Amino acid sequence: MNLKYDVVVVGSGPAGSVTARFASEGGAKVLVIERRSEVGVPVLCGEGISRKIDGWDMLQGKRWMAGKMDGARIYSPDRTCVTLSADQAGNETGYVIYRDIFDQELARRAIKAGAEFMMNTKATGIIKEGGKIKGVKAQHFDEELEIECKIVVAADGVDSKIAQWAGVKTRLDPKDLETCCQYTLTDIDVKDAYCEFYLGKEIAPGGYIWVFPKGKRIANVGIGILASLSESGMAKKLLDRFIENDPRLSKGKNLRFLAGAVPVSNPAEQTVADNLVLVGDAARHVDPITGGGLTHCLEGGKIAGNVIAKAIKKKDYSAELLSEYEKGWKEAFGQKIKRNYLVKEMMLNMDDKTFDKLAHALEKVKFDEISTHGLVKEVAKHLPISTKLNALIKHRKEIKEIKKK
Amino acid sequence: MAKPKAKVDNKKCLACCGCISVCPQDAISWIGNKARVDPGKCISCAICIRTCPVGAISGDVQ
Repeated sequence: MNLKYDVVVVGSGPAGSVTARFASEGGAKVLVIERRSEVGVPVLCGEGISRKIDGWDMLQGKRWMAGKMDGARIYSPDRTCVTLSADQAGNETGYVIYRDIFDQELARRAIKAGAEFMMNTKATGIIKEGGKIKGVKAQHFDEELEIECKIVVAADGVDSKIAQWAGVKTRLDPKDLETCCQYTLTDIDVKDAYCEFYLGKEIAPGGYIWVFPKGKRIANVGIGILASLSESGMAKKLLDRFIENDPRLSKGKNLRFLAGAVPVSNPAEQTVADNLVLVGDAARHVDPITGGGLTHCLEGGKIAGNVIAKAIKKKDYSAELLSEYEKGWKEAFGQKIKRNYLVKEMMLNMDDKTFDKLAHALEKVKFDEISTHGLVKEVAKHLPISTKLNALIKHRKEIKEIKKK
Repeated sequence: MAKPKAKVDNKKCLACCGCISVCPQDAISWIGNKARVDPGKCISCAICIRTCPVGAISGDVQ
């Protein structure tokens, strides 16, 4: 069967749905295809998001919200606790969400704007004519589809194949991927609304363990470790050991177990080509320190959708016009991701003792900003000068190498 | 003896797609809600085996 749209979005995650919504609101005829049978299911996420989304007009109602957080506690390897609390800073923290409902709400907004969604539809290739992208090949149950379009949006996640098929290199180095798994435990002894993070080479090499409360006595308890430091099944083994040794959690009952993979690389160098746009995890729009990407998906998706609508109106689908999106996301959060990637690299070179020393220095600090930025600023003040210098030298080397290329 | 090729245990795979993302040969695909290795493309590097968070991939001597 042959179909025809202005825009085909591959993937119905937050980045795909928000892109579809804004492109549709701008007058484009949009189809979203999704290989799974339900938007947002299965969840592949720790389900935390910053409260800076308040006022963004992305989500309606409160069904997607599991709880408002009062702050965060970060535990160093020797279990020194650095607390970031909302009342202390008079600042915003975050929400823990139901990611399936969250995604479905974003999809609903896209549909309201006129986008069509087709589930159980897996992209199998790109249609090219004379080197130009002309659409997407897909399989809907047993039926082969050829969907003609002007612009293809790769919103197909960490394992993006669309980008690869289109000739954009997206393969991740294992040192730039967090491999994760998570239980949703109920009947646990976690009462207050604080997100907890546990650091340490023995606890979670190159990553952290998190406890995100979803209400009273229920929480997401998960782990992310760097794939380059992982062995087969290590993430699950380390998480199981952590839960077993924590008396608050060890008697918990499991409601859900899931696995995930998070890009913690620099943002993709190329996110547009003629007739092609990359968004969300496919564009590596994730904070390399926290592994959080939802706010970027919403911000980036809005920029992408608006630029795509403009391209359709002007009948100009060139990389040149679409690069307005690339400029937009770089301004909005690109610099932040790049900076945090450097910090991630620096943290990987730090041993547990350095983390402990830092935590001892930060234990009594009152943070005026609850964010990775606020934390990084404080950390930078207390880091040994040798660590900072090493990072700087490495950074300079990398810049030189980039310039050589 | 031939080098072992990566093989996914469908009972364990949770389709997180980490293995697909790091495979240097683009040998792994998402098929029917699971990761599947194309043994013809697999070069036995074992990166996917080490990446899998739940230990669903192992070396299969053919």
